Amino acid sequence: MKRLVKDESLCIGCRSCERACSTAYYKVDDRDKSCIKINEKPEGGFEIKVCTQCGICYQVCNTGVIQPNPKGVYMLNKKECVGCLMCVGYCPEQVMVQDDSRSEPSKCTACGLCVKACPTGAIKIEDC
Amino acid sequence: MMLNDRPYPDWHEGLTIQGVIEHMNFTWPKLVTKVNGQLVWPEDYPNVVLAEDDDLKIHHLLAGG
Amino acid sequence: MIMMCDVPRYKDVDMEEINKIRDAHVLLNKVEYEPKQIYRGYTDKLLTIDVSDSSIKISDIPAEVKEKFVGGKGYCLRYLWDATNPNTKWDSPENEIVMSAGPIAGITQYAGTGKMLVCTISPLTGIPIDSNVGGFFGPYLKFSGFDALELKGQAEEDVIIVIDGNKGTIEIDKAPLEHLDAHVIGEELTAMYADNENDRKHVAVVCAGSAADHCDLSMLNFTFYDPRRGVVRLKQAGRGGIGRVFRHKRVKAIVCKYQGIKNDLNHVYDISIINKTGVKYHREMATQDPKQNNMRKIGTANTMKILNDYDILPTHNFKFGGTPNISEMEPKVFIENWLTQGGADGCWYGCSMACAKAADHFKLKTGPYAGQCVVVDGPEYETAAGVGPNCGITDPQVILELNFYCDTYGIDTISWGTMVAFLMECYENGILNKERTGGLELNFGNAAADLELLHMTARNEGFGKIAGMGTHKQKEYFAAQGWGDINFMNDIAMEQKGLEYSEYGSKESLAQQGGYGLTNKGPQHDEAWLIFMDQVNNQIPTFEDKAEALYYYPRFRTWFGLVGLCKLPWNDVVPENNALTDEPAKVPEHVDNYLNLFYGVTGRKIDREDLLVMSERVYNFQRIFNIRLGKGLRKHDAIPYRSVGPVTEEEYLSRQERYDGQLVEKAGYTKEQMEAMSLQEKMAATRKYREGEYEKLIDAVYPKRGWTMNGVPKVEHLKKIGMDLPELLEIVEPLQDLQP
Repeated sequence: MKRLVKDESLCIGCRSCERACSTAYYKVDDRDKSCIKINEKPEGGFEIKVCTQCGICYQVCNTGVIQPNPKGVYMLNKKECVGCLMCVGYCPEQVMVQDDSRSEPSKCTACGLCVKACPTGAIKIEDC
Repeated sequence: MMLNDRPYPDWHEGLTIQGVIEHMNFTWPKLVTKVNGQLVWPEDYPNVVLAEDDDLKIHHLLAGG
Repeated sequence: MIMMCDVPRYKDVDMEEINKIRDAHVLLNKVEYEPKQIYRGYTDKLLTIDVSDSSIKISDIPAEVKEKFVGGKGYCLRYLWDATNPNTKWDSPENEIVMSAGPIAGITQYAGTGKMLVCTISPLTGIPIDSNVGGFFGPYLKFSGFDALELKGQAEEDVIIVIDGNKGTIEIDKAPLEHLDAHVIGEELTAMYADNENDRKHVAVVCAGSAADHCDLSMLNFTFYDPRRGVVRLKQAGRGGIGRVFRHKRVKAIVCKYQGIKNDLNHVYDISIINKTGVKYHREMATQDPKQNNMRKIGTANTMKILNDYDILPTHNFKFGGTPNISEMEPKVFIENWLTQGGADGCWYGCSMACAKAADHFKLKTGPYAGQCVVVDGPEYETAAGVGPNCGITDPQVILELNFYCDTYGIDTISWGTMVAFLMECYENGILNKERTGGLELNFGNAAADLELLHMTARNEGFGKIAGMGTHKQKEYFAAQGWGDINFMNDIAMEQKGLEYSEYGSKESLAQQGGYGLTNKGPQHDEAWLIFMDQVNNQIPTFEDKAEALYYYPRFRTWFGLVGLCKLPWNDVVPENNALTDEPAKVPEHVDNYLNLFYGVTGRKIDREDLLVMSERVYNFQRIFNIRLGKGLRKHDAIPYRSVGPVTEEEYLSRQERYDGQLVEKAGYTKEQMEAMSLQEKMAATRKYREGEYEKLIDAVYPKRGWTMNGVPKVEHLKKIGMDLPELLEIVEPLQDLQP
């Protein structure tokens, strides 16, 4: 099982993770195109929204194009995806990206780029 | 008390909206409820006590494909 | 609870067998064409297939047709009108089956966007029937380059029609070996035309079933391939006997294949609007559906117990509004024991409402497939109610078995349920007996007899031949045989214009009586479902209020069928803040979603009033189509008394307090007068009062709709809505002053 885990107490809100994600996959620095999201908490501090690989996207997809890989990471096969966006709406963490420039949404692949970008270790890849 | 513009015969002291819903066996999941024109959210149904001259509306939303 | 992840895949078809079936095909005609790319929701192309001479024609849909008729049902009725004449019957060669999906159909980002509308002149009603259906065929036909398909003529031998939207080919083949039952031919043709297993989702099949060769209640099945289960699923264009017309033309199936589904095959005007509206809706489904209707778990049958609670669930041929045995078949039972949970049961991509539930590996106990384990699509509310309590049946095993066999034989479950309920009441009243039914004891609740009758109907044997006639012809037949009193049968036969009622008891809601009676195709609830608004909410107490509702809702709801949408996502979930809006019943945010979708697809900005006018044009066109075929006047809007009030003493007594009270409160009797009346006198007085109310309702509705008191659209109204077409004026002008 491979997935992102977080420790919000370490987050300083620098948004390096968001930048790393959207730059890698959408070639722009735009948090709306990042599969990890940092939100300011009203009471101070930061909330980190990451894909927990819960698989709800897989359950709602009636094309069967979201499937777990051997590591338990849900991967989206863009070639066969019809762009219905149900997975985006159903994502409980709201961290799937829908962008009008592309027909298909994108989701976290637990690639670890955000982890590398994080200066404080607030996120890491759990692989067990 | 009036329920949906018809006299409600079973009013009693301490009657709540929840009490009316149970008494009427209103099992429909999509209800819009107003007391004297004021909207009441479902979580407040057990707390809102009805007076004898209240105008209660419990509207069931449509369905049917 | 049965979870999707635990459901084994279905056994695959035998490819050797499939190849044998394919080898028996004889090519009759094949054309190549350049598929027209869709632009802003339209291809503006019409495909006409005449199976009499196997001709295939592609023509342009003129701008005027698009402007006035929009698409979907509008196109179906326009081309059906043009092909037929006032003397056309259901079995005339010129009668067509016209199918059209509408401009919004085929987008994948919003729920319920894959609907196809199908029209023909019905064997049950003799007037146009319209039926809407999910599955993949509608969108695939559009992606293959056609906004509409008209099917005409009559082949000499069984044929199939195959459209390949990628290659740009259309062919007609003699097809002698394909089976007729839908779950079999659906698999056969899906496997035959798919290149491999992954390709099966690109094949859509339209077929009927073995009963459609002779049963007037027959429908069309539309498939969609379910890649999770590895099985073909079925959706139905159920109402009005379209399957009978299909098979009369000797068409076994129409196949459409299209690879490469993406969310902008409609080449829409503004995809951003569509994406945003879609995601917003999916999110609403994710958060609200579990708190509201539970559509994803149980589908439309979520209302089963509720309608029982409100005295609306038709029971024993609509005599009563509920059954004490409801707990045997309440939604919980289906969710926990029968319907697979956690699946993705949309009948088109992007349907987050996903109401197409299925019972998996269901073991059949009767009929030609006894012992086999099959997938059963459904049961939808109408099916469960109709073949269930309306016939005195509450056993889920039986309901699912009836559901399966109706589907695969190609029989409309609504008509079957309502018709069998009528036969059962006839049986219990001595109009039928064992001798007349050939041994079937058709008492309420006799599931074995019901199933046997269904199998006999499919085989066209014995009393099954009578069943295949439908309720309207049955009552005339029974009277002609001297078996029963036609007046009594007219009272209890729940049909109007020849079509069996759908499954809501309307006795205690005058508005719903109108919702059934004042419809174009016959008593189906898809025009106006006002039962709660009227009976429970008391929101439309006056005739004026009811008339307004019977003017607004049929127009609003007609629009879904013009543009290729399913109605369920409109109001089977509502936004969390819907209660705060001015008119929660109309679900204003969802109406705005639809206006946005139409704008996003077509680039044409419309407001709520424009939407209603679009529908009103087609609605009036259909009414005049009925008049053209001799069935569109006031007298044809009369309804059976069973839908209005208590026909029998037993019914009166079951709600005596209510009926006695109404004689005093509404019908103008004093309490003393009422108490002095005999039961028969009370029943007669109730009937007089209630039938009078229905006439008053008509008096209020027709003027609202711009019709004369005889139900004829007025010339000035047609002018006002821009529907004063010469062929319509020719029909209505001579009738303007005709009194009912």
